[in-house]
Amino acid sequence: MIRKARLASQALFLLLFLWLFLQTESKGADQLGYPVKFFLDADPLLALTAILSSRSFLPSMLLAGAVALATVFLGRFFCGWICPLGTLHNLAGAAVRKRRRVVPKGSFRLKYLLLVFLLASSAFTLQITGIFDPLSLLIRSLSLSVYPAFQYGVTSFLDVLSRWPVPGLAPAADWLLGILYKGVLSLRQPAFSQGFLLGILFMGILALNWIERRYWCRYLCPLGALLGILSRRSLLSRSVSEGCDSCGACVPGCEGGCFPQSPDKWRKAECYLCGNCDDACPKNAVSFGFGKKRGAAQLDLGRRRVVAAAAAGVAAVPLLRIGPSGTGQADPRLIRPPGSLEEREFLQRCVKCGECMKVCITGGLQPALTEASLEGLWSPVLVPRVGYCEYRCTLCGQVCPTGAIRRLSPEEKADVKIGLAMIDPGRCLPWAHGIFCIVCEEVCPTPKKAVLLEEVVVKDREGMPVTVKQPRVDLERCIGCGICENRCPVLGKPAIRVLSVGESRSRDNRLLLP
Amino acid sequence: MDRREFLKTAAVAGASLALPGLLLPDGSAAAAEKLDMVVAKGPSPARITRAAVDAFGGMRRFVSRGDVVVIKPNIGWDRTPEYAATTNPEVVGTLVRLCFEAGAKKVKVFDHTVSSPRRAYKQSGIADAAGAAGAELSFVEDRKFREMKIQGETLKSWPLYTEVFEADKIINVPIAKVHGTSILTLGMKNWMGVMGGSRGRIHQRIDPCLVDMARTVRPTLVVLDAVRILVANGPTGGDLSDVRLMNTVAVSQDQVAMDAFGSTLFGLREDALGCVRLGHQAGLGNMRLARQKIRRIQA
Repeated sequence: MIRKARLASQALFLLLFLWLFLQTESKGADQLGYPVKFFLDADPLLALTAILSSRSFLPSMLLAGAVALATVFLGRFFCGWICPLGTLHNLAGAAVRKRRRVVPKGSFRLKYLLLVFLLASSAFTLQITGIFDPLSLLIRSLSLSVYPAFQYGVTSFLDVLSRWPVPGLAPAADWLLGILYKGVLSLRQPAFSQGFLLGILFMGILALNWIERRYWCRYLCPLGALLGILSRRSLLSRSVSEGCDSCGACVPGCEGGCFPQSPDKWRKAECYLCGNCDDACPKNAVSFGFGKKRGAAQLDLGRRRVVAAAAAGVAAVPLLRIGPSGTGQADPRLIRPPGSLEEREFLQRCVKCGECMKVCITGGLQPALTEASLEGLWSPVLVPRVGYCEYRCTLCGQVCPTGAIRRLSPEEKADVKIGLAMIDPGRCLPWAHGIFCIVCEEVCPTPKKAVLLEEVVVKDREGMPVTVKQPRVDLERCIGCGICENRCPVLGKPAIRVLSVGESRSRDNRLLLP
Repeated sequence: MDRREFLKTAAVAGASLALPGLLLPDGSAAAAEKLDMVVAKGPSPARITRAAVDAFGGMRRFVSRGDVVVIKPNIGWDRTPEYAATTNPEVVGTLVRLCFEAGAKKVKVFDHTVSSPRRAYKQSGIADAAGAAGAELSFVEDRKFREMKIQGETLKSWPLYTEVFEADKIINVPIAKVHGTSILTLGMKNWMGVMGGSRGRIHQRIDPCLVDMARTVRPTLVVLDAVRILVANGPTGGDLSDVRLMNTVAVSQDQVAMDAFGSTLFGLREDALGCVRLGHQAGLGNMRLARQKIRRIQA
């Protein structure tokens, strides 16, 4: 009975999650109309570490507080009943028939130690929780890898199919594509620079189910660890009646690996309230309810381990920051989305969930690899050649769960510079080759064009005078949106390039006095 | 004149002769026949669009029962209508209605935008206005471009949007605004919106390319939206002080004449644009406005 209700809840929340994921896409208006970051907002681990690392309270995280509070009363219902990644693990695990158990005893402690590591590092202003946080990990993996691959797979499959010389196939494929584009597929094929790597990582995490059911949740998930700690004295609890003869029928079904067969050694902090033990018990000796006897095994992590994990967390802070990006020179390619906080504060908040990259209407926001040092791995960077920042779009700031990208009004956004375009006169057609071209000026979106044209007479290849318009960038008007670089017809290396210099969020990375 | 065109002209001429004068609001079929252009002025974009088309002989003269019509506005940019960077949505919506009133089976509206298509369609107001009138709005899809032969002087072939060529009738609805290379963007320039591939390169030899495109895509009607025109910082705009309210819509079948007329709205000579001069020389149309019968009306 509990199991059926749980399965229904899991299905419902997974569908809700996927629905919100699909809605994380512009439909043309400047508002999405759906609370697409709902799951991230409800994540107590992200909330706690973001508050620690940024030293500020985030109002959007009241929901996370509610989940934490509910966990104190109800236990780890989130893992068993809600978490979409947990549900995917259930699905992946269902494909495995037989397991050879090779997991060392005590591995369940790993996730607590990881949690200690993350809490210690965030207390010292490092925010890398999102790398491990299940919701952040899931959204990032889906956005940057699974969904792009899905779209590519479906469209190219139908494309190949429609070229088969079978009558009726082409219109059928066309019809199906038309339907898929209405709600499932993205208007533009999403493409991300590290899609392959992130996809392999994600598949690896799912494949861990091959070793152990819900391996990730049992041994690695730091959110699970946090919820486990919170749930240790929860009111909703499992109890086993005298009828239990320790037959062990409940063991194979137990999702958390929490020793259900033993009333004394049962690890309450590992219980997802999945209800499988209740279902499996031939004696009907298991029941869940409030006010039951709350005796359970202590959570013994070992003092040395905890201290070591905390020390490692603290040590990680300087270790991740001794790269050259710490020397004050901003990476010229590090163009952050509009509304991003100053780089240090930005890194203290960004959880690399990928929401901004998913929602970016041109696909220009890409996961950083080295541009922001290891600390900023997978944080968003605008790559103008891939996609530019649409002048009147403010969606990335709307979906950012931690305020690393501030929410801007369109009016505010018009004044925000994210970089600066500069012309390479050695490559620019009118400058270097006497050929007419004004594309950068044409597409420049600022109300008074930031690309100015100057009519000059140059010589063509025969030495004859020819009048061309040479573009120049107005350093004050340019906002660094990157559409000029994006559309520059000079291929290879474009003749106009946007670099991070001039960004309004930085006091130092500027060319001109403000 | 190829066979198809001959048949069309013959059908149109025959129909307008056979039909009673009540199709034409001024009651003189013969007078309408001779008109080269109608320019309508007035405060309501919808009203002047309807009045201009009616004075030009009515939409039935151009669109037949069962036709699939493509209406090609300029939806290039993510701008709201008051910035005059995109075609006026009311003008587009009214044209859609007129086509359906004339018996069109389907009216398609699309453009190969420069800004992100979803934003451009929505923010320009065209998605809502044309959609409300019953048009089929679609985003341009890569797979619907085909490399096509162009009998041009400069362009020999280019990936063009197949839906344009599959339609029975095409109505070009540009907005009038300034542009860095072509000086103005009007009707012929609007054909860039059916081009695929790396179309930024067109700017290197813009005028002959535009004429080649005008040779390839022959519209049934050109409706120039000059309700608001953009006089500086085009084609994107973004500053209301660069927008002039003209309250004007013009209708013609002659692409060259229409662009020549558009130039005059900016205080330029009728032959100011390179594409107009080249188009005139190539015999695509007549840029000499003084030699044309242009009817000006208030609505």
